[in-house]
Formats: sequence, C-alpha cells, structure tokens
Amino acid sequence: MRPRRGGTAVQADQLLLLVAGGDHRAFEELYGLVAGPVFGLVRRVLRDAAQAEEVAQEVLLELWRSAPKFDPDRGSALSWVLTLAHRRAVDRVRSARAAGEREQRDYLRSSATAFDQVAEEVEAGLEREWVRRCLDRLTTLQRQSVTLAYYEGYTYREVAERLSLPLGTVKTRMRDGLTRLRHCLGGVVA
Amino acid sequence: MSVLGRLFGREGLHSLAAPYALDALEGAERLRFERHLERCERCAAEVRALSEDAVRLACSAATPPPPALRDRVLTAIRTTPQERPAGEPARVRTGQLPPHVWGIQPPPRPRERRVPLFVPFATATAAAALVVAGLFAVQAHRTQDELAAAQARQREIAHVLAAPDARATAGRDAQGRTIGVVASASAGRAVVTLSGYAEPPGGRVRQLWLMRPGAQPRSLGLFEGDTPLVASGLTRSATSLAVTVEPDGGSPRPTTQPIVQLALNSVGFGE
Repeated sequence: MRPRRGGTAVQADQLLLLVAGGDHRAFEELYGLVAGPVFGLVRRVLRDAAQAEEVAQEVLLELWRSAPKFDPDRGSALSWVLTLAHRRAVDRVRSARAAGEREQRDYLRSSATAFDQVAEEVEAGLEREWVRRCLDRLTTLQRQSVTLAYYEGYTYREVAERLSLPLGTVKTRMRDGLTRLRHCLGGVVA
Repeated sequence: MSVLGRLFGREGLHSLAAPYALDALEGAERLRFERHLERCERCAAEVRALSEDAVRLACSAATPPPPALRDRVLTAIRTTPQERPAGEPARVRTGQLPPHVWGIQPPPRPRERRVPLFVPFATATAAAALVVAGLFAVQAHRTQDELAAAQARQREIAHVLAAPDARATAGRDAQGRTIGVVASASAGRAVVTLSGYAEPPGGRVRQLWLMRPGAQPRSLGLFEGDTPLVASGLTRSATSLAVTVEPDGGSPRPTTQPIVQLALNSVGFGE
C-alpha cells in the first residue's frame, strides 16, 4: 500500500479554505479528493469521455477561481463542487440533445464504454453498491424520476412526458425519492 | 408554467425545490426559482438538504480522471487569478491550528469554550462523502497484487454495506483529520477509514478499539496505511470506536490516549 503524498487527506472543506488564500499545494491535494467524483459524475451525464474531460477541466478551474467565495456554512466543499459540475454537465447535455447529437453519440460510444466500465466498477464499486441498494428501495416511479433527471439530465417536464405522469406527480416523486434516499443512506442527523 | 404558477402561487414554487436540487428545471424556470429562493428561507433550507442528497448520487459515479487532466488543471491555476467576493481584500487563511493532540495535552487557549474532542459532521452527506473519499483514495495507484487484495477486501466491505441497517457516520478533529465508519448493528460489522493521520514513527501502529460500558476496550485490528479496516463482532452495547498509537504488532490493551474517538449511537449501537 502506497501512502498518499504529503498528508493529502486533510479534509476537503479545510483544503478549500486554504485554496481560497491562493495555496497551490492545497489545491493539488483538493484535486486528489474531488477530481474522481467530478469527472465520474460529468461522464455519467454526458456519456462521452472526451467531453467529460473538457467539462471537468472547466469545473476544476472554476473551483480554483471561486474558492474565495466558498461559504462553509452553506454546505460542504464536495457538495459545492459537485453541484457546479452537475449543472455544467446538464447544461451541456441539454444543448447537445437539442442539437440531436446525443442519439448519434450514444450509438457510437459502445467499445470505449465497455472498457471504462470495468475500471469504474473497481474504483467506485463500494459507494455505488450502497447507493444502488438504496435506490432499489425507492418505488419505481420515485427511482425513475430521480435518475432520469440526475443521471440523464432531463427536466422534470421531460421526465413527466417520458413516464406519462402529471407534472405534480413527478415533482412529488422526486422529492419523496430524494428524502427516502437520505433516510436509507443514513449518517449523522443534521 | 405562468398560468399554473399564478394559480398555485407560492405553493407552486415551493414544489420546485426537488426538481431544482436535481437540476431538472429549464433555464427560465430555474432563474425564476432562484429569485424566489432569495426571499424564501424555507425553500432555501429545503434546497440545501435535497442538494446534499443529490450529491450522494454524484459520489457513487466517481471515476479516476485521465492523468493528463491533472497536469492541465494544475498548470492552468498557476496563471489563473482568483475571484474575490466584492469588498474583501485578499487574505491568507493559514489554517494553523493548535499543535496539541487532544487527550495528551489540553488546548492552549484557557479562556475559550472547551473544544469538543470530536466535531460531528453537520450533515449526513458530509459524513458519507468522507467515508467515500477514504474508500476512493485507497483504490488509486494499485499494482495487480494490491488490486487483488483490494478486491477481496471490497467483497467484505460490500457485505457490510449490503446489510439492511448499514449506516454511516464520520467526524473530524480540530486539525481536520477524519474518521469514517459504515456499520451494521445487525451484522455486528463495521468498515472504518482514517484520513489525514500520518503513519506513526518508529514502526508504531494505529490500533482500533471497541469501547463498551463497564468493559475493557477490545482490539478490532491494526490500520495499514489508508486501507479501510473491516471489523467484526461488534456488540450492540458498544458506545464508541477509538484509535490509539501502539508499539509494532499492537497491544492487548490501549497504552496511550486515543488519537480519535467516534460515538456509535447514530449508527444503531449503544443500546
């Protein structure tokens, strides 16, 4: 087991406060903590490694630029950067979808994805399994409403259309789904 | 939306908190809801909580990025200026914290409120994210042999995670070092990750203990580097986990003050 360099694991929140002071080394450590989740999330939504790399790079640079504006009272550093990453990925996938590129890319991506998925399963298998276990406990409509929006980048109107449900029902399923997920994933009570 | 929005008024906007947290609003609607958020304390709090839930979905998708990305980003920040909030001068937050380790030496700040040994994380997401960061970090930079060992351990870990009552908790000390635990009371098992704790000098080791009321601490094993420790045989009466630094090979009983201690009541123990 190779020890991580120079005490990498000082926590992300605290690292981000150091980064806010212009600390390059702290940013390097922070990169080690957040780059995997950022890249993985963006790739999951975009389903394209090259585009994901581009968007992840934008997000990580934005993390550096905006670090002085980080307010720890409003949430964790990880939550902050992942929210930003998700927003960027979703904006990108929607404009691509609007341009009709998505279906084509989905069709073309087959071999690269097969390889990547192996690595992904080793790297993120633990958390993934845990989240999957909890997703399985949602009702089908809750699960579909949450994952179509979060992982596929569909708006709740599009989700309603795809599932043939009224808008109000989809909003409720999203809310109940997330709340049940929280309960299942557990942890320290806020 | 405009007609419906007028019909439902505020309630209509409130119900957009979950779609907003999932980024499932269209551009114009998103802006309208964000304006509403500035005035609606209740919505803002709900969005914060729901966003933390959504982040859990993000963490489960973690994938190592290509190494070239790291080089590009780290090179770029050297020439990229940071944006400061309006009116705030640039200031360096050094993060210098008292060098004491609690339990060994009292904090050298007599007039301040007593610093708790252990600060629980504010939200479930922060706790879980920490556990994940620990698990994730371990997976990087492996040789084939290490990978095989990691996969064997991963099966054990998966066993704990698959328990119906598996719960996570985590905490950090004043120096930002953290401990994360995923435990199942029914299976009597837990996965424990430490981060930020340097290897003890002189061949010493970090040993994990189960603390029970009215009983001696029981050893749950030794940590190796950043590798998560899978502990079994946890009794429901257990109140906390503690880590001490011990001579090579570990000790039958703790011989030093804990470097970190974590209560287990939020994960179903301490009955």
